[in-house]
Amino acid sequence: MLVMGEVHTGLLQNSGEISESTCRQVLALMAGETVRVSRRPIVHALSPERLTGVDCALPTASRSRVRGVGTVMSRCAVTGGRVAQGSSYVRVVRSEADRRLPWSHYLARPGVVEVLGKAKAADLAEGFTGDSAPGGTGGACLNLGAVSGRFLDLVQASPLLDRRAPFKIPRTSLRWVAETGEPSIRFTLHTEQERTLRLTHPGPFTPAVVDLCEDLATHDWLLTSLLVIVERARIGGTQGAQAVARLAPAIDHLMHLWMPAARVEEWLTPFWESLERRPGFSRQWRSLVDRVRDQVAMNTLALLNATAEAGRR
Amino acid sequence: MLIFAISDKGGTGRSVTGTNIAYRHALQGNDVCYLDFDFGSPTAGAIFSVSAVARGTRENGLHHYLRGECPLPRRVDVWTESDREGLRARPPGAGRLVLLPGSEGGGELSALTDEVVGRCVQLLGRLDEEFDLCVVDVSAGRSFTAELVLAATVRMPAIPFRWLVFHRWTRQHIIAADGLVTGADGLLDVGTRFGHDPEDLRDRIRFVRTAVLEPDAAELVGLRDEQRAWLSACDSELRELAGRHGVGRTAMLGKIPLDPVLQWREQLITDEDVLASKIANAETAAAFEDLAKKIVDDSAWEGL
Repeated sequence: MLVMGEVHTGLLQNSGEISESTCRQVLALMAGETVRVSRRPIVHALSPERLTGVDCALPTASRSRVRGVGTVMSRCAVTGGRVAQGSSYVRVVRSEADRRLPWSHYLARPGVVEVLGKAKAADLAEGFTGDSAPGGTGGACLNLGAVSGRFLDLVQASPLLDRRAPFKIPRTSLRWVAETGEPSIRFTLHTEQERTLRLTHPGPFTPAVVDLCEDLATHDWLLTSLLVIVERARIGGTQGAQAVARLAPAIDHLMHLWMPAARVEEWLTPFWESLERRPGFSRQWRSLVDRVRDQVAMNTLALLNATAEAGRR
Repeated sequence: MLIFAISDKGGTGRSVTGTNIAYRHALQGNDVCYLDFDFGSPTAGAIFSVSAVARGTRENGLHHYLRGECPLPRRVDVWTESDREGLRARPPGAGRLVLLPGSEGGGELSALTDEVVGRCVQLLGRLDEEFDLCVVDVSAGRSFTAELVLAATVRMPAIPFRWLVFHRWTRQHIIAADGLVTGADGLLDVGTRFGHDPEDLRDRIRFVRTAVLEPDAAELVGLRDEQRAWLSACDSELRELAGRHGVGRTAMLGKIPLDPVLQWREQLITDEDVLASKIANAETAAAFEDLAKKIVDDSAWEGL
C-alpha cells in the first residue's frame, strides 16, 4: 500500500567530529552485526537494523480506527562524524488474515506492518503527514518519531562521546510517506523542527528510498542549523568581531558537510534535482555560506586596517 | 547546563526566582528551558503569564510524561504564547524561552521506579542537546522529585548540573536550608546513596537568599531608631547563625531583595516594570540579572 517513516537528525554530542573507527563502535548496536561505512565523498556510517514489534492503531486522516501489527525497522547513522540520525520506517500492507497471527509470522517480514480490516492508502498517508498527524506528544497510535528519537538517544548516550558539543541546536524530524505511481515529491516545513515529505516513485519500493529520505533529512538539518547560527550571530546588530566569533561553530563544524544526493541511487536523483530547483536547498545553503565567509573577510580587513593604523602611529 | 531549584520550605519564592533567572538568562542571548517539576502545585505557567497552562496542563504534562503516558511532554514557547504584552515578542538578541508545564492535578510522585528515572534521563539528555540552560523547579523539601533528579544525574555524568537552594533570611529557614543539604535524607545523604561523590556534589550546591530586607534599605527609612537597631542586631545574629550552618557568604550565590511586587503577585520582573511603570525596584531586576550570569560563571562555583 505505502511506506511511512520518520527520521530524527541532530548534532552528535561530542566536542569534535569522531573518526571512522569511533563511528563503528558508536553504531555497533548489535553484537556480531557490522556497521556499514562509506568513505566518499563523505564518511557515512550506518548501524545494523533493529526491529521493534508493534500492535497498535495507525494514524488516519478520517480518524477511523485501523489496527496494524508487525515490526518497525530502525537504524542509526553518523555523517561526517558530526551529524547523527535515528531513522525508522514501516511498509504497510493488507493482512491476508482477519486476526493477529503468531509473532513468527511478523518476524519473518521485517519492517512490515499488516493492516487488519479496511484501510485506504490515501487516508493513512494523509493521517501520517497531515496537520493532525501525531506530533511529538501524540500517544495513542503508531509513533515512528518516538522510536527514531529513542534510537538517536542510543547514539547520543554512547560512553565514547564526551557530550561537550560545540553549540546547542535542536533536532529536526522528517516524517515521510512513499507510494508507487507517477513521480512527484512534496517537501513541507511545519513548525521550526518538523518537516514532512510526500514521495511518489515509479516502480516498487526499495530501501534506496529510505536512503533518499535520510539524505534529505541530513541536508535539511544542516540548512536549518546554519540559519539558526547566522541568526544568533546578529550580523549588523553587534560588533563585527563578536558576530564572527558566533559564526565560528558553523565554519568549524558544519560548512564542509554539504554533499547533496551523495548517497542517492541514480534512479532517485531526479527527486533531489527537483528540490534543488524549488525550493532550492543548495541555493540557500550557498548564499548562507557566502554570507558567513564575507563576514569573516570583512572582519579580517578591519583587523588588518587597525594593525596598519597602529603601525603608522 | 542543568540547574535544579529547590527550597527548604514552601513560600520561599523558589519558583518566582527560578523563572526570573530563566527569563533573564534568555534575555542575555541563551536558549533556556524551564521545567516545572513541582508536581504538587505546577504554577510556573501563571508566572510566565501563559493562562492556558496557569495551573499545569491537562494533557502531556511532565507528570504524564514521567508516568509513561505520553512519548514527549508538551512545550510552551513563552515568547509566542504568553498573555502578557511585554513578553509576547522575542526581544532582539534574546534566545528561546520554553516552558515544559507540569500536569494539572498530577500530585507528587508516589514512587521512584527505574522506568521513571530512565524517562527523566532521556528528557534531560535531549533538552541538554538544544538548550544552553535548563532550570528544573524541584518541589520544596525532601521529595521523590528531588530523589528522581539525584538518581537521574548519576546516570548522566557528562552533563553539568548545579543546585540552587532557596531560603528566606530567618532563623528557621537558615536551619532548614542547612538541614535540607546536610541533614539526614538531605541532598548529600540521598545523593551519596545514589552514587554521587559527596564532596563533588557539595561543590555543586549554592544558596540563594530571598525576600531579603537589608538594614540600610530604603524601605526602612520611616522606622524608629529602636526598630532599626533591633533589625540590625537580628541581621548580624542571622549572619553568625548562617556561618555556623554552612549557609554563609561563601556558599551563597546571591540574594534577592524584598520587593513589594513579588509579595503581591508572582510574576516576571521585566525592564518595563522597572523603568516604565516603575512598579518594581531596579535592585530586584539587577539581582535576577546578576544571578542569571553567576549560575554559569565558573569562578562563582569554585570549591568551597
